[in-house]
Amino acid sequence: MTEKDKTIEIRWHGRGGQGAVTSAELLALAAIEEGKFAQAFPSFGPERRGAPVLVFNRVSDVNPIRARVSVTNPDIVVILDPGLIYITDVTSGLKEGGVLIINTTKTLVDITSELNGPWKLAVVNATSIAREMLGVPIVNTTMLGALVKATGIIELESLTEPLKERFGARAKGNIDACRKAYEETEIAELSGIVEKPRKTFETETFPSWQELLPGCVVTEAGNAKQYRTGDWKSERPVLDHQKCIKCGICYLFCPEGCIGQNEDGYFEANLYYCKGCGICARECWTEAIKMVEEE
Amino acid sequence: MESLAIYVPRLVTTKEYFAPGHRACMGCGEALAVRLVCKALGRNIIIANATGCMEIVSSPLPSTSWEVPWIHTLFENTAAVASGIEAGIKVLRRKGKYTKRTKVVAMAGDGGTADIGFQALSGVLERGHDLIYICFDNEAYMNTGIQRSSSTPLGASTTTSPAGKVSIGQTTWKKNMPAIAVAHDIPYVATACHSYPFDLMNKISKAIEIKGPSYIHILSVCPTGWRLPSDLTIKAGRLAIETGIFPLYEVEKDRYTLNLDFPQLRPIEDYFKLQGRFRHLSKEITSQIQERVAAEYAKLKKKATSNNY
Repeated sequence: MTEKDKTIEIRWHGRGGQGAVTSAELLALAAIEEGKFAQAFPSFGPERRGAPVLVFNRVSDVNPIRARVSVTNPDIVVILDPGLIYITDVTSGLKEGGVLIINTTKTLVDITSELNGPWKLAVVNATSIAREMLGVPIVNTTMLGALVKATGIIELESLTEPLKERFGARAKGNIDACRKAYEETEIAELSGIVEKPRKTFETETFPSWQELLPGCVVTEAGNAKQYRTGDWKSERPVLDHQKCIKCGICYLFCPEGCIGQNEDGYFEANLYYCKGCGICARECWTEAIKMVEEE
Repeated sequence: MESLAIYVPRLVTTKEYFAPGHRACMGCGEALAVRLVCKALGRNIIIANATGCMEIVSSPLPSTSWEVPWIHTLFENTAAVASGIEAGIKVLRRKGKYTKRTKVVAMAGDGGTADIGFQALSGVLERGHDLIYICFDNEAYMNTGIQRSSSTPLGASTTTSPAGKVSIGQTTWKKNMPAIAVAHDIPYVATACHSYPFDLMNKISKAIEIKGPSYIHILSVCPTGWRLPSDLTIKAGRLAIETGIFPLYEVEKDRYTLNLDFPQLRPIEDYFKLQGRFRHLSKEITSQIQERVAAEYAKLKKKATSNNY
């Protein structure tokens, strides 16, 4: 993997707003600082804060990088949000002998039973590290530490300069988080052949562009209902029936329009669409709605 | 709050013409505003929607969130396309081929209204087409990554007006689009905000009944661009009105009405300290903005009271 003349390709799975783009850029800058060649770029789409995003890195020791396409067969996959394991095919195209780095609260044993394959697995509880060191659950810089530990693609010290430049006064917390993650990352070599069944969500029911009418007319009104935005959320509203007065303010203020009245007259959010913004909990007068962490 | 016992299900229709599954950021004020607008508009409408956040999040090609006739237009010609639809309907009706009462609605963001689509909008208002133009103002080009527009308020930090050692952020005052619309001498101009949903829906219902062009300017809070936690969207909208930065008023043929009047405006710091884009502002600039807000509000109030005959 660390052959001298090889380009190492990395794919990041994160969510909009988590800073996957920033960490890929920082990694590239650190590699360039070491005299290597590197590039970092995201995959663009109409997806917003909370939506799954893809970011790519290429790092080469000796050769300039000419490729300008997205990475389909990565050597390294970094997953910033454990929820993404169940909704996207995170190991897609991961090379044999590659490295899979996951931010998760689960233990190495538990995660192995879910994601077994011919690769190296590294786990770290980056969310709790980020909460402790930065005060916010933004795990991008923390995961850089785990990446360095698991792959040795760059030296940990090379990250210091880019982090300082990027975060200024807030750099120290980020550097500490990075170092802590480096120390706490657990690594296992897997040899498993088991491909466990994975929940992947379907958007195949949408027509392809060839099936659309000329002029790209969509005739099925409101077919975005098939698109599941519920997996963007990291928090979920929970209604306390005792406190609810069935006023419907939460229904009125929901940007998704996903709150509906059930038979008993209570307003419940449809978690298939709920993005977990927390407006309903904030606006509820009787404080009947609480946001609880997903999973 | 306790005394205002509102039972929402009796006051609004449960019909949704803006389907869930759209890809707006979590806590998007604009998505909420569009949803409320669609509730008030009902079924019998045709929407022309400019490029911008709402177009991108609601209609990535094979999917669409709209349950009403909807057309995507370019940034600059939303109002022109809408006026074309309206003229077409008029001709069909004259020939007796179309009998329904259909309202045409043009929707655009602040960039598509105050900057790029300005000429088409001015033309429509001047020609007097029978349509509603709705501007969803999130105070920057949020779709492409928070670039300043002419609707960005003074002092706001965006990616093309970044605050730093030299710059305070945006250096010009927010363009007063409702006033420009009023200057076109059209039957109905109103400002609204999603934080006051009943007021917003009433204004839309009113605009539907009016013959001729109406312009509605809706402040839609953007948690991403305003650097704000997503659950504070509604609160930020309320503060914009309570501080007098974005007063809610309507103008019917030169007759001004302040929909929500406060004997004492809240200090604008309450609004500013919530948002990351104003975090850098110094005391002097804040008081300068405060002065201007107070003066503008007083001017508006004077207009509103002077025609209370």
